Amino acid sequence: MKKLLAVTLIISSLLIIASSSFADESPKLRSIDQLKNERLAAQRGTVGQFIAEDMLGDNKGRLLTTYEKYVDAIAALRQGKVRAVVMDEMPAKRFLNDVEGLAIMDKALSEENYAIGFRKGNKELVEAVNKALAEIKADGTLNAIFEKYYGTFLAGDSSTIKPEDIDFNKGAKGGKLVVGTEAGFAPYELRVGSGYIGIDVEMCAAIAKKLDRELVIENMNFDALPMAVSTNKVDMICAGITVTDERKENMDFSENYVVGAKQVAVVRADDYEK
Amino acid sequence: MTMKSNLSHQKGAGRGDILLGLVGLFLLYLLYDSGFFTAEAWADFNRRFYQNFVKDSRYMMLVDGLKATVFMTSGATVIGVIVGLILSVIRVAYKGGVPIPILNKFAEAYISVLRGTPAMVQLLIWNFTIFASARDLNTQYIAILAFGLNSGAYVAEIFRGGIESIDPGQMEAARSLGLSYGSSMRHVILPQALRNVVPMLFNEFIALLKETSIAGYIGIDDLTRAGQNIQALTLEHSQPLVMVAIIYLIIVLFLTHLVRKLENWLSRGKRG
Repeated sequence: MKKLLAVTLIISSLLIIASSSFADESPKLRSIDQLKNERLAAQRGTVGQFIAEDMLGDNKGRLLTTYEKYVDAIAALRQGKVRAVVMDEMPAKRFLNDVEGLAIMDKALSEENYAIGFRKGNKELVEAVNKALAEIKADGTLNAIFEKYYGTFLAGDSSTIKPEDIDFNKGAKGGKLVVGTEAGFAPYELRVGSGYIGIDVEMCAAIAKKLDRELVIENMNFDALPMAVSTNKVDMICAGITVTDERKENMDFSENYVVGAKQVAVVRADDYEK
Repeated sequence: MTMKSNLSHQKGAGRGDILLGLVGLFLLYLLYDSGFFTAEAWADFNRRFYQNFVKDSRYMMLVDGLKATVFMTSGATVIGVIVGLILSVIRVAYKGGVPIPILNKFAEAYISVLRGTPAMVQLLIWNFTIFASARDLNTQYIAILAFGLNSGAYVAEIFRGGIESIDPGQMEAARSLGLSYGSSMRHVILPQALRNVVPMLFNEFIALLKETSIAGYIGIDDLTRAGQNIQALTLEHSQPLVMVAIIYLIIVLFLTHLVRKLENWLSRGKRG
C-alpha cells in the first residue's frame, strides 16, 4: 500500500510538472534580430549550437542551453524555458507537422551543406565513397530518395516507409561498412522498431552496395560521432553533418550531398507575429 | 540491520503512511484542477499512449531496451563480485600479515582510481580509447566490462567492511586449530562476511542497474535510450520518459523486496 502511494505520488507530480507552463509576458517575436537577447536552445554539437553562440556573443553562457536530443530542446521551447530552438529546416518541418503550436521564423539564419565525415587521412575510403556518391547522383538514386522523404515522409505519412525494405547488402564480400549516426534526426535518420529509416540511411545503403560492402549502423549521440570516427570505431559518420572549416581541421569530408540546407529558428506559434 | 527491517515491516498504517496518503491526495486534486481528468484530456492521453507504445508494436523497443539493460547489469554484477572479492581479500590479507605489498598497492590504486572518476567518463574511455580498434566486438560487452570493473571497486570496499566486521578472534581460533591463512579465510571468515554484506551488495546492484542508463552514450539501445528513441519517433516528450521511469522503479522495488526476503532468510539461525 505504501509503495502504491509512493508510485502514485511520483507519477502525479511528474504529470503536474509536465503539464504546467510558464507565462511569458514579453512582446511577441517579429524578427530574427530579436533573438540576440533571448534564451535559445540547440542540440549539443550541432551547427545550430554554433550559430546560436555567434548570435548571442558574450551572453551565450547565460542564454544558451544545449540539449542531447532535439525532442528535449523542443519540449523546453513548448514549456517556455527557451524562446527559440536553432535547428535544421527539414527536421524542424517534421516537428511542425507532428507537434501543435510551433512555427518557423521566416528568415533563415544560414545555409549549410551536408557531407559524410571520415577520419582525417582516410583518403582511400573518401575517394571510394565520392565515386559511389557521384554514381548514385548521376543515375537518379539519390534524387529518388530525397523525393521519397521530402514528399511522403514530411507529409506525415511515415508508416509506408519500413526499415526492412531497405537493403543493407547483408553478407557482402567486401566486408562491413560501419556508419555512425544519431537516429533522432528525421527525415535524415530515425530509429523505427529495431531498424532504421531516413535519407542518410538509404543513401549509405546505396553507397555500401556500390562498394560491395554490408552496411552496419551504429546509433550514437551526436556529440560522440566525431570521436567515434577519429578513433576508428566507425568507418564514416553520416548524420546530416554540416561541413564547417573547424570540423575540416579534425575530419575529412566527402563531396556535399545536400546543398543549401537552411538553419532556422523554431518558435511557439503564439509567440510569433509575422 | 535485521532489527530495523523487522520494525519497518509492522502491519498497519503509521504516521508516515498517512502523511504520504495526504500528499498523494493533494497531488491528485492538483491534477484534477489542471484539467487532467476531463474527457478531452483523457482521450488525448490515450491517443498519445497508443502512438507511443501500441502502434507498430513500439512497446517492443522498450522490451528490447530492457533486455539490454538486464543483460548489462547481470554481466557487470558477475564481474563486479569477482573483482571485488579478489581486491578485498588482497587488502585484508596484506593487513593480516601476508607479504603481498605490490598486490596491495595495486588494489589500493585500482579502488581509488575507479571510485574517483565518474562511471560515464570511464565508459567513454573504455569504448573510445582502450577498445578503439575493437570493431566487431559487441558494444554491450565493452559496457559490461566498464560497469563491472567500476562496480568491482565499490564491491571491494563492501567486502572489506564485511570481512573486517568479523571478530578477529575467529581468525585466531581457526589458525590455532591448524588451518592455513587461506583456508581460514575461505571456510571461516568469508562465509560469515558474505552473510553480512549481502544486503549492501544488493543495493550496489540496484545502483548499477540505474547506472547502465548512460550506456546510450556509446551507442547501446538500453531502456533509457529506447525511451529516447520512441521520443524521436513520436516527438512526444513526457510519456516515454515516465514509462521508462516506471519500468526502472518496478524492477528496483522488486529487487528491494527480494533483499528484504533474503535478509530475513539469512538471519535465521543467527545467534545474538
